[in-house]
Amino acid sequence: MSVSEQVIHVVAETLNVSSSTITKESTAENTNGWDSLAHVNLMIALEQTFDITLDVEDFAKLNSIQAITEFIEKMKN
Amino acid sequence: MEKNPNDYLATQTRRALKEQAFNWSKDLSLPEARALTKRLNEEEPPEKEFRLGIVHTYTSNLLDPWLNFHAIVQGIDLKTYHAPYGLNLMESRKGSGLYAHAPDMILFMLTLDDIHPGFSKPDSRLHLDQQYDLFEDAVKRVLGILTLFRTNTSARIVLTILPPIMPPALGIYDVHSGCSENLWRTSLKKQFATALSNMIESSFFFDMDQMLAEIGGFHFFDFRFWYTSRFPFTPLAANEFARRLVNLMTISICPKAKVIALDADNTLWGGIIGEDGINGIALGPEYPGNTYVDFQRRLLHFQQRGFILALCSKNNAEDVYEVLDNHPHQILRRHYFAAERINWLPKHENLLSLSNELNLGLDSFIFVDDSNHECDIIRSQLPQVEVIQTPSKPVEIPRCLEQINRLEIISLTAEDTLKTQLYAQEKQRKQFRQDTVALDGDLNSYLASLKMKMHIEIDSRKNIARLAQLTQKTNQFNVTTRRYSEQQILDFVESNAWTVSSFTLNDIFGNSGIVGLALFRKLNDEAIEIDNFLMSCRIIGRSAESAFLYAMLNHFATIGITQFTATYLPTQKNSLVVDFFSTHGFVAGNGAGCYKRDLSTSPVDKNLFPPIEIEIEDTDK
Repeated sequence: MSVSEQVIHVVAETLNVSSSTITKESTAENTNGWDSLAHVNLMIALEQTFDITLDVEDFAKLNSIQAITEFIEKMKN
Repeated sequence: MEKNPNDYLATQTRRALKEQAFNWSKDLSLPEARALTKRLNEEEPPEKEFRLGIVHTYTSNLLDPWLNFHAIVQGIDLKTYHAPYGLNLMESRKGSGLYAHAPDMILFMLTLDDIHPGFSKPDSRLHLDQQYDLFEDAVKRVLGILTLFRTNTSARIVLTILPPIMPPALGIYDVHSGCSENLWRTSLKKQFATALSNMIESSFFFDMDQMLAEIGGFHFFDFRFWYTSRFPFTPLAANEFARRLVNLMTISICPKAKVIALDADNTLWGGIIGEDGINGIALGPEYPGNTYVDFQRRLLHFQQRGFILALCSKNNAEDVYEVLDNHPHQILRRHYFAAERINWLPKHENLLSLSNELNLGLDSFIFVDDSNHECDIIRSQLPQVEVIQTPSKPVEIPRCLEQINRLEIISLTAEDTLKTQLYAQEKQRKQFRQDTVALDGDLNSYLASLKMKMHIEIDSRKNIARLAQLTQKTNQFNVTTRRYSEQQILDFVESNAWTVSSFTLNDIFGNSGIVGLALFRKLNDEAIEIDNFLMSCRIIGRSAESAFLYAMLNHFATIGITQFTATYLPTQKNSLVVDFFSTHGFVAGNGAGCYKRDLSTSPVDKNLFPPIEIEIEDTDK
């Protein structure tokens, strides 16, 4: 699975929706249920799935599939 | 079972997960917990619904996936309502969202600062004279708030206070200080708990400090989420919090556990007594014997909680008794066990006969054994028994029962702490009965030789908790199985329309504690309805029920009450008393299970009284 596919999977699971409803273009703004509370559990899920530690300052930036994917690819390299 | 976490996630049944002897779930990630929740929901949909309401002054919604996860493992379909953020007293009213949710339990997640603004001023907490007033005020406020909520709901009320995020004001000097913060926090917590027990019916103080001590501060708080979202917990802490909370729910809705039935070899000690001999088994101050010593000590703790211990071992009895009586490091001596089955019969047969001897249903048994084979047999033959397989690594044995929900308690009475002793007396009594009846073949002379004395208390306020507990826990000798809370029992005691009567029974072997209860409701000056009549199964077979009933009928007759009505309401467990009224001079009344008796035409015949001396203590209202 590519990083972006994994990210889509984690986001869908956290929001409790089917993976097919989340795409590479999904953002917090255009996605139902991706509110500030769900965002906290998303941060936790990303940390645990990709074995990374996020900084508070990164939380707000990680607000779209694209931003998260790029961020994780950068961290993993 | 191999401890590969993926096994748990992919294949284990709910029962296998629930009966694990170690904390397999504590390191699960959030996605793993979610995936497992989903799988269990699909494969084994939960049978029981539980409705939780949360009133909170810090973020609680993020607990949901963890709560749902632990609930589904226990077979609970959890429906959670989070009240709007804040200590909103409007939520206590009829018509609020909380009220509409009809919760079975309301959890209050508060911080000290929310309870009283005095706690957010560091100075005031450091002067002993000011502390006293502050604490008194804080307890009053908590009681005031919870009483408001209590008015419109019968849900269990659970209060928890978030531990301080910061170390004590005085740092490492705290314990030396005359107003140690750790000390006053503990004392305040105790005051909250006491106030809840005394003043708020069906309430509980959920002590988060215990959980903090287990997890450790570094792993408990996540400051990133606290300062950005007012959510204090790491995933580890959120997970453990949810586990403990679901534990409280399980205790409320599952059949109560009463007996821990223990294997001996490789459970109470390392090795096999029949092969290794008393000097060869592992039990003592060195590894691995010290792990078994600790486990035995832990089992005694469970006994103090009110669970009774029984032994179920495939061995020659004399080999096991030699360890119980003579091994220098054995802690659980013979008298700690309420009953034993040490023989070569299949263990499910032994559990059945233990259940008969102790008069306790199999669904109140927890079976602990190291053998795969024995555990499987019990699971398949006696599915109502909870089966815990002891871990193969000795270091994991002492804590192997810590995850078992039904071994936690939320109330404790004097009878609970004495229970094994009471069962041990019963064991002696049975032996005595066999001997006496064998001698002259007469049950009545056996009863007479027990020299029984019954002490009846009427409308006493002394033992409300025990009386409520009797209505909650008694299943077999219970004519209507109407369950009452402490508050309801107290109301009956204080009401002129009701008579609450209970008894203790004393004989040559000891005192039973309070074992019988009858509730009478006055219909008019001459007539009474028997609302309930119940007795602990521990004393069945001593005619105490007849003595108690006749004594009460006579008591009422002396004050001019002669008309009695009674009802038998059948349940799956109370067929024992189906004929109770008809064999005690009552005739059929109007409707199924209804009985009546007119003492003016059929008074109690003194000759029917069993050989029990009776004493009545009546508290005037």
